[in-house]
Amino acid sequence: MTGSLAASNLSVRYETPHGAVHALRHVDIEAHPGEVIGIVGESGCGKSTLVTALANLLPANARIDGSISYNGVDLAKLDAHHQRLLRGDEIALVGQDPMTAFNPVLTIGDQLVDFQHHRKDLGRAQKRARIAAMLGRVGIADAERRMNSYPHELSGGMRQRVAIAAALLTDPGLLIADEPTTALDVTMEAQIIHLLRELRRDYNGIIIVVSHHLGVIAELCDRVYVMYAGEVVEGGEVDAIFHDARHPYTQALLACDPARFHEKLDRLPTIPGSLPNLTQPPSGCVYAPRCDRAFAPCVSVAPPLVKLSVSHMARCHAVTP
Amino acid sequence: MSPLLAIDDLSVTFARSGLLSRLINPFPLPSFNVIDGVTLSLMPGETLGLVGESGSGKTTLARTILGLVRAAAGRITFEGRNVATPADFRAMRRRSAMMFQDPVASLSPRLRIGALLTEPQIIQGLPMPDRRAAAKALLALVGLPASFVDRFPHELSGGQARRVGVARALAMKPHLLLADEPTAGLDVSVQGDVLNLIGELKRELGFAAMIVTHNLAMIRHVSDRLAIMYLGRLVETGPTQDVFSAPLHPYTATLIQSEPIPDPRRRSQNPAVTGEIPSVFRRPSGCEFHTRCPIARDRCKTEAPAYRPMGTDRMVRCHFPLVTGGQEREAFSRASANHRGN
Repeated sequence: MTGSLAASNLSVRYETPHGAVHALRHVDIEAHPGEVIGIVGESGCGKSTLVTALANLLPANARIDGSISYNGVDLAKLDAHHQRLLRGDEIALVGQDPMTAFNPVLTIGDQLVDFQHHRKDLGRAQKRARIAAMLGRVGIADAERRMNSYPHELSGGMRQRVAIAAALLTDPGLLIADEPTTALDVTMEAQIIHLLRELRRDYNGIIIVVSHHLGVIAELCDRVYVMYAGEVVEGGEVDAIFHDARHPYTQALLACDPARFHEKLDRLPTIPGSLPNLTQPPSGCVYAPRCDRAFAPCVSVAPPLVKLSVSHMARCHAVTP
Repeated sequence: MSPLLAIDDLSVTFARSGLLSRLINPFPLPSFNVIDGVTLSLMPGETLGLVGESGSGKTTLARTILGLVRAAAGRITFEGRNVATPADFRAMRRRSAMMFQDPVASLSPRLRIGALLTEPQIIQGLPMPDRRAAAKALLALVGLPASFVDRFPHELSGGQARRVGVARALAMKPHLLLADEPTAGLDVSVQGDVLNLIGELKRELGFAAMIVTHNLAMIRHVSDRLAIMYLGRLVETGPTQDVFSAPLHPYTATLIQSEPIPDPRRRSQNPAVTGEIPSVFRRPSGCEFHTRCPIARDRCKTEAPAYRPMGTDRMVRCHFPLVTGGQEREAFSRASANHRGN
């Protein structure tokens, strides 16, 4: 089953003893089958809250407003039982840390059998056959032997391949990869990027890649949402984001990446200032205090979402179509 | 000019088995070299980037230089004096400092920033009439408000903790700063901040720095010279700009090519290198990179290449280095021709 995903006017706040933290505010995103969507931003931008909301894994103190519709069903309104049925069947998650993704006392094969619990029609032998085929597909040689290995016997890169295999075994319509290469070395990172790109050829669901690494997003994604302090500030085709960024934050973020400069710089570019306090989000633009193009309305009036082309939009007063 | 720090043929050995198995097994497994024959020098005021993937031994090398890990063989010379005994290392640590990898974990959670900043002087028994004033001066040096003296480490952001790490390392006015992954875990907009700070203080105070990292995009801008490690051995050293524009060792070239480029118009077509980093338990025969090298030949499988000079200021450990205009370079670009369009 594959369907489209749309979050509209999605807000998430965490109730804490120090007041509510407005971690996500009025987020609109959409994703269609076959697309690879990138969500990029720095720590505290709300990208993890967004994906945990999409996977229905928010902690008990989280309050959701707005809707997350997947295949016509509003995920935010499902009861816990139906949410569980969806997770692991329709929605799969590949985490950041391949070291802790698996149970250390069970073999890879046993755990991957458990991942297929929703396939009541298959016997254990059939499930193991599917695992062997899937491990081969994610580039693990000698799959039969690897199924009898324990997680600690695999390297980090190999474990991340197994985690991707585990996610794909559930035939998900929505695959969320949260910082899939952050814990890996650069040569392994390149291999995992290549693997994800190869897999999408015969996978027709949605892939959402969350990363703070601009290079990974540029290598993998079709469309990108840029987040800052709990809001999506810009969204568009990957080429538009990297070559025609319009929001001052996106521009500043791109300008900070040392990978863009080949000549030695005496000073690395930075973004001065710090994130706003999300217990009292500013009434105007969240980026205004750090923005070099801010003018009077930015401080008091929330900026509109300016449509720049069919798919490119930015939330900024200073941007004109 | 004589080097500030010279390391000659340094090796570090770790026991292969744990204490328990050594007690019950009369024939313990042979130990293995995590650092093997590293020769490296650092000039006063120079910034050296020590680059490698996890398990390459770069952190162990930094810790060995300061005497936190014991070397099995080799010589360390600091400011012209041989450093061998624990007393030598103690004396050396008075003039050198280390910034540890995890900035928050390396600060004691029970001490206030003020106490943390002046701890090095107390340990070294230096006179300090006014501890608070000394701490405030250090905070000012790294651009943090004086009110931070009364804060605890958990009240700091990652970038601020990193600044405290810089201040603490510089408390003793060191001649050498060893920074282990100074930007790991920092956002891209903040990492420039920390590196610019180290750069400014370097110009002002004139110390030399060794930056241990796996972040090539960053080290390109902040180092004068690069040393590339693979499985505990140096495979290439040279001036940073030369190494990036014309890497000699195929491993260096694949590292540079593997780095994702933030430009969707220049996507890589194939991974620059396949396979996994071998284990130091089972070092491959011959050249240790031959299992993953795109241009390895038969000789590479059997004969270990020597670490030899190329030109005046570069060293490489390869039988067939990628010399500009040479056929190896051509073969390497052919092997990775499909890698990245322009």
